[in-house]
Amino acid sequence: MDVLLQAIVNGILLGGFYALMGMGQNIIFGVMKIVNFCHGEMLMVGMYLTYMLYTYAGIDPYLALPLVAIIMFLLGAVIQHTLITPSLKTKSFTNLLFLTVGLGLLLSNGALVLFGSDYKSIRTSYSQTNIMLGPVSVALPKLISFLVLIVVTIALFTFLKYSTTGKQIRAVSQNPVGAEVCGINVRRIYLLTYGLGVALAGIAGCLLTQFYSIYPTAGASFGFRALIVVVVGGLGSIPGAFFAGILLGLLEQMSALFISPSYSDMIVFITFIVILVVRQLLIMRRK
Amino acid sequence: MLKVENLNAGYGSVNILWDVSMELNDGEVVAVLGSNGAGKTTMVRAITGMIRPTSGSIVFNGEELCKKPSRYILDAGIVQVPEGRQLFTEMTVLENLQMGAFSKETKEHFQENLEKCYKWFPKLEERAKQAAGTLSGGEQQMVAVARALIGMPKLLILDEPSLGLAPNIVDDILNVAKTLAKESNISVLLVEQDITKALAAADRGYVIENGHVALSGTADELAANEHVKKAYLGI
Repeated sequence: MDVLLQAIVNGILLGGFYALMGMGQNIIFGVMKIVNFCHGEMLMVGMYLTYMLYTYAGIDPYLALPLVAIIMFLLGAVIQHTLITPSLKTKSFTNLLFLTVGLGLLLSNGALVLFGSDYKSIRTSYSQTNIMLGPVSVALPKLISFLVLIVVTIALFTFLKYSTTGKQIRAVSQNPVGAEVCGINVRRIYLLTYGLGVALAGIAGCLLTQFYSIYPTAGASFGFRALIVVVVGGLGSIPGAFFAGILLGLLEQMSALFISPSYSDMIVFITFIVILVVRQLLIMRRK
Repeated sequence: MLKVENLNAGYGSVNILWDVSMELNDGEVVAVLGSNGAGKTTMVRAITGMIRPTSGSIVFNGEELCKKPSRYILDAGIVQVPEGRQLFTEMTVLENLQMGAFSKETKEHFQENLEKCYKWFPKLEERAKQAAGTLSGGEQQMVAVARALIGMPKLLILDEPSLGLAPNIVDDILNVAKTLAKESNISVLLVEQDITKALAAADRGYVIENGHVALSGTADELAANEHVKKAYLGI
């Protein structure tokens, strides 16, 4: 029983990262209708950024969090302005596919050149601290990460729902022509959206450094899972992405517990395929 | 107030409008008529800066607006109700209307303009919290017109307001446009395929065929014109 409870808690905590990644991917896809295939690599960049700030400047990972978010936002905005906006004009999905995949390769190989292929980690004084929640023991960094996730989710949801810029982002995602008619600067919204999506990946990367090794391809599995979260949680839905992420984390931990940890990846993707097939069948039946 | 001269525009290398010239005075309702594919919407897009005209001039209240960006033209006071309404279907009616306030001035006057819009279209007040996509076609068209009015237009362009709507709703919307022109001194450019209704609402009209201005005149003259009768009214 305690083992099950422990797995549930771990699953929720892990799912939080998938949720963060999924929300970033979701907002980018919602507004520009492009899949950001370098989303996982952005998480990796956030990890190395945190690592550098910690190793060379001695900044605690949690204090570095806002800084990492801002730097990642700017990085995203620059990429959007110089690369993605110009290719959006071609209206070619393949162009953007190659662009974001290529960007991902560039980033992971760039990290390989700069930092080498060995695993790096950050060990702070509280990295190993565990907190007992009843019978369940939780690593303090994981708990903090989850709290940060909740705050970020609520902030993002509120921002999109109530602020003028948030409404403009939703307007562009629902109808770009209508947005232009209303004088919304669509390019500026693209810039903000991509920056925001990348910043969310960066936040996930920063939080992960406490208990996950840092290496050039660390983001790949998170990038893939972000796609699953977007598809399962529903396009454009922040709460959908949140719950889909948590569910995905739970599924992974449950399959690790009941079947085998080495099969958990496989089970995640098989479940994903099953969901896709079932959904397709349901859509066809409705027609 | 609006003077378009020798406007040429199109998409990529395809030219659609050929030397289109027209004029519109303060408080006037002018109809732009023509069949599907004549270039009416292209003209709207060229005037509002959503596509870049290749040549010509668009003078609005003494200012040259040709080749200016769409946002600049919007600030100058030319607001359109686009073809197909282009609402934000998952946002509420009120949020849609808020999106119509694009500048500092329109934001400041939002509340009073909102009340005016609710007076024009009382249905919208009832439906303010509802997602725009759940409204009927006529109500959606009202949202689109109200969203443009929130932008405090000096010139309101209505692009195919009758598209897919019941005749009595079209009459309602055209009546609002007509009253606006007379009472609030807003000029209205009415782009329509439904020529009978458009001529009934307009003071003057231009007939566009294959990207050229084929005919122009007062609404009565056009309604009596043999070519218009034959080609468009089926008389």
